[in-house]
Amino acid sequence: MGLLSDPSISTQSKLVDGLARHVRKVCLVLYVAGVVWFFCLALPEFNHGTYLSENALSPGLVYPEIRVDANRLAIQLLEELHRERTNHVSTTPHAWIAAKMNEFGLETHTHNYTLRYPFGGGKEYHGKNVYGILRAPRIASTEGIVFTAPYRAASSVHTDISPSVPLLLAFADFARRKNYWAKDLIFLVTEQEQLGMQAWLEAYHDGDRVPDANRTYLRPGNLPARAGSLQAALNIEVQDLEIDYVDVRIEGLNGKLPNLDMFNLVQRIMAREGIASGYKQAPRKKRRHSQSVYEQNLRGMLSMLASQASGVPTGNHGLFHRYRIDALTIAAARRQTHATLKGNPGSAAVPLLKAIEGISRSLNNLLERFHQSFFFYVIVNNDRYISIGDYMPALVALVACAFVKAYLKWATLPSASEMEAAAAAASAAGSESELPSPGEAEPDEPFDLPYGSVLIYLVATLAIGYLCNVLPLQQYFLEIPMGAAPLTTSVLSFLSLIGFILPFVVVLPPGGLELLHVAFLLIYGCAMIAIGLLNFALGFFVAVLTVPLVISLETSEENTKSSFRNSIRLLTLILNPMMIVYVIVLAMTFYQFPELPMQKIMLRAATAAMDASAYGLIDSVIYGNFLYFVVSTVLLPLWILCWTLALSKRRDYADYLDFDEAPSPQPPAPPAQRQAKLKRN
Amino acid sequence: MKNMYGKLLWLLVIFVAKCLADGQDTSVLPEGYVDAAQRSTHTNNWAVLVDASRFWFNYRHVANVLSIYRSVKRLGIPDSQIILMIADDMACNARNPRPGQVYNNANQHINVYGDDVEVDYRGYEVTVENFVRLLTGRTQNGTARSKKLLSDAGSNVLIYLTGHGGDGFLKFQDSEEITSQELADGIQQMWEKKRYNELFFMVDTCQAASLYEKFTSPNVLAVASSLVGEDSLSHHVDPSIGVYMIDRYTYYALEFLEKVQPFSKRTIGEFLQVCPKRVCISTVGVRKDLYRRDPHKVPITDFFGAIRPTRVSTDRINVTMANEDDFVTNEKELPFKKPFKIVLESQFPSEFFK
Repeated sequence: MGLLSDPSISTQSKLVDGLARHVRKVCLVLYVAGVVWFFCLALPEFNHGTYLSENALSPGLVYPEIRVDANRLAIQLLEELHRERTNHVSTTPHAWIAAKMNEFGLETHTHNYTLRYPFGGGKEYHGKNVYGILRAPRIASTEGIVFTAPYRAASSVHTDISPSVPLLLAFADFARRKNYWAKDLIFLVTEQEQLGMQAWLEAYHDGDRVPDANRTYLRPGNLPARAGSLQAALNIEVQDLEIDYVDVRIEGLNGKLPNLDMFNLVQRIMAREGIASGYKQAPRKKRRHSQSVYEQNLRGMLSMLASQASGVPTGNHGLFHRYRIDALTIAAARRQTHATLKGNPGSAAVPLLKAIEGISRSLNNLLERFHQSFFFYVIVNNDRYISIGDYMPALVALVACAFVKAYLKWATLPSASEMEAAAAAASAAGSESELPSPGEAEPDEPFDLPYGSVLIYLVATLAIGYLCNVLPLQQYFLEIPMGAAPLTTSVLSFLSLIGFILPFVVVLPPGGLELLHVAFLLIYGCAMIAIGLLNFALGFFVAVLTVPLVISLETSEENTKSSFRNSIRLLTLILNPMMIVYVIVLAMTFYQFPELPMQKIMLRAATAAMDASAYGLIDSVIYGNFLYFVVSTVLLPLWILCWTLALSKRRDYADYLDFDEAPSPQPPAPPAQRQAKLKRN
Repeated sequence: MKNMYGKLLWLLVIFVAKCLADGQDTSVLPEGYVDAAQRSTHTNNWAVLVDASRFWFNYRHVANVLSIYRSVKRLGIPDSQIILMIADDMACNARNPRPGQVYNNANQHINVYGDDVEVDYRGYEVTVENFVRLLTGRTQNGTARSKKLLSDAGSNVLIYLTGHGGDGFLKFQDSEEITSQELADGIQQMWEKKRYNELFFMVDTCQAASLYEKFTSPNVLAVASSLVGEDSLSHHVDPSIGVYMIDRYTYYALEFLEKVQPFSKRTIGEFLQVCPKRVCISTVGVRKDLYRRDPHKVPITDFFGAIRPTRVSTDRINVTMANEDDFVTNEKELPFKKPFKIVLESQFPSEFFK
């Protein structure tokens, strides 16, 4: 072996050498640092007290003017509504709501929409929203604020929140008499939970657009009247006029949040009216606890991230965020015991009405959209938050592992001489052919890494992911008489299976695995950062789960024990996205029905997971939730790559040389390989 | 050679003697001259009142400037000699529950945006450029007379600024700011162009004292609501309107001014002490080094009113035309005329507002 081609003499820099020796340790340290940083965020030293940045809001400077007569009106309306509900068991009393809005002097309109359900053979559902606009008396209708109340029919399985509508109407009646509105107020009653809201928002913003009948599932129709650019929205979900506490819900679609100023504003005003209010506020009984501050903070933080990660809004407010409208829900819970009741029921809702008035007057003061405070934050406690600058380092530290490793892999990609040496060793050990000895081989043409085949492999895996997103909605699949859940699940499992088999069928040429590894690490790192920026909770949780695998994944066979390799393969199999979804659903089922036997729980979890995948798909096509996309089109291809690397199927060099030497007919090889010929004379 | 030394010695002696004489001069100034320096020499009064900030939540700045406007008008400066700059229209803001009205107090006794308010520069016309042009008299061609500061060497000018300031600047609108250097340059130009006799500079913003730091022009007396590094604070909120009503310094200044009548003997010296730290929270800054008179001897109406030194005569006065002879030759021949008394009515019915 010549001196120049001696692989023990490295031409790489010292940095790479050092890194190569300690890469595991470096990555481990980064991983631990990231996780420790995350847990540190719950410490009071790492988070900050909330404050109001927007001067214009000036919360609490006005005395509320709403009086007990508004409460009386609300009670009277609630009684009327209850009478209406006996006639409208499973529908919304549109006529009554519209009549009341008209009576209070609002510009009342109805809005019809149609849902073409993607599954179930083109079945159509119709819905109707009612809204009334209170025009600002002394200014052009260029800006608006929305107050919404979802209406649930009496037959709904969800908690009864019918008092929201009377409360909304009572406030509308009060607001109508005031002359200080600088923005139009829209009072909106939606039905069918988030669907009505989504349809209304789409109609408000894109109502003029002619929808493509085949591609859109929700046909929002158009609105007869608008109120300019919407600045903010407040969703009201009240279980009873006598309230115990208010839960402020902020998580929106894809984990988006309203501006922190809006949350702070609501908290300020609620505190002034003496209403127990907060983020994830619990009933009084549960509120008594003896946890340490750190534990409370950590719980608060984790529960927020958990609800953010799925990307499903926690209320109708969440759909506004997509249109850059800051919105949140105030969900008031029914007061359970009347023993502690101090005031008379005749004025029970006055504090809440006053709070709504205060919030609306502050929003009315806005001069431009919320922009001063944070849009990316984690609420630790009702008055403490973590800003994006403080939590991002945790994710960046985790993902940095992938980039460090990618750099190392790139720097130590097998060079031509190594390839030849390896090939020579293989040939020497294997066949006794008349190959020229390595010493005689003239390296007149540089060794090429199989870029082409790796690229094709990547495209193939991504195509599998893309098909997951598209295939279940194709017409011919939809015509199969199968429920949405089994259909989606079977398509997903089938495509995962293809991904599982792919590395057995397609074997990359020499150097291909290493190159694939670099590509995998880069794609993984970029994807995690991108997901984490959009939805920190999702990105962080996925990274925490997968980074250990990414660190330990190794393609070279030399210095790893086979047991280690096998355990990595097992870990890879466990971390299959579908597997993880199942495990999460299983854990939730176990938590919800602890009394069931294990077998039943597993079965129930399986159906629930299938439902979840179908709902994920429906959410993505109707609301634009990207969780399904992330899992199927980003994480699944990444998993296939990961699985390929964990298997590390290599072709025998001797076979390979045979194949290349043979001038005539080639053995049937997938096209992926053909491009990546090892050029050798 | 000897002669030359002698000459040099002489020169030295003369120089020393002259220096000594100069030193003696100040101490033995004629009393009449000292008195004259302390006396008002102005012939007319002008006021430039500026609210530099806009937006509903800055209601108090508009209330500040309108209150000062009301006071100077009450004390006799006519609208034609008041330049009022207001950057936003609070009275007609859609958020105002009292349309067309601006109050400076939660009691809502006085609508400071009454019937006779003439706003000369409104809304987006209130810019640094317009303000500097106004001061220096370099207004563009075609500018209305009401938008010009037509002061002369005999004018006492009151400049009142309010808005949001910082160390060395005052913010105009939401987009630009005037620096203390620009302000000092503007006033120096005014002096050079003989546009004022004396100037009273009053400013109510955060870190207001930084605005008068760069002044070098003579006859300028400056007062600021807060020192550098301090915030000026608002006084109180009107919960029915939902905004802060007025700033502390202006509030106490007005409390003082409300008691001043056109012929009052109150002095600027008293006015400079209206807002002690215990009520103002910020420290009021005063700059007197450019001002030659003793503020305690200057009547407040020298700046806040239009009271010129006048002598009321009940005697008959001969007015002789240049080319005519005096036609009254013997005064005793004139018919007897009853002596009369002049009763001055107060210009503003302030008793109604008490």
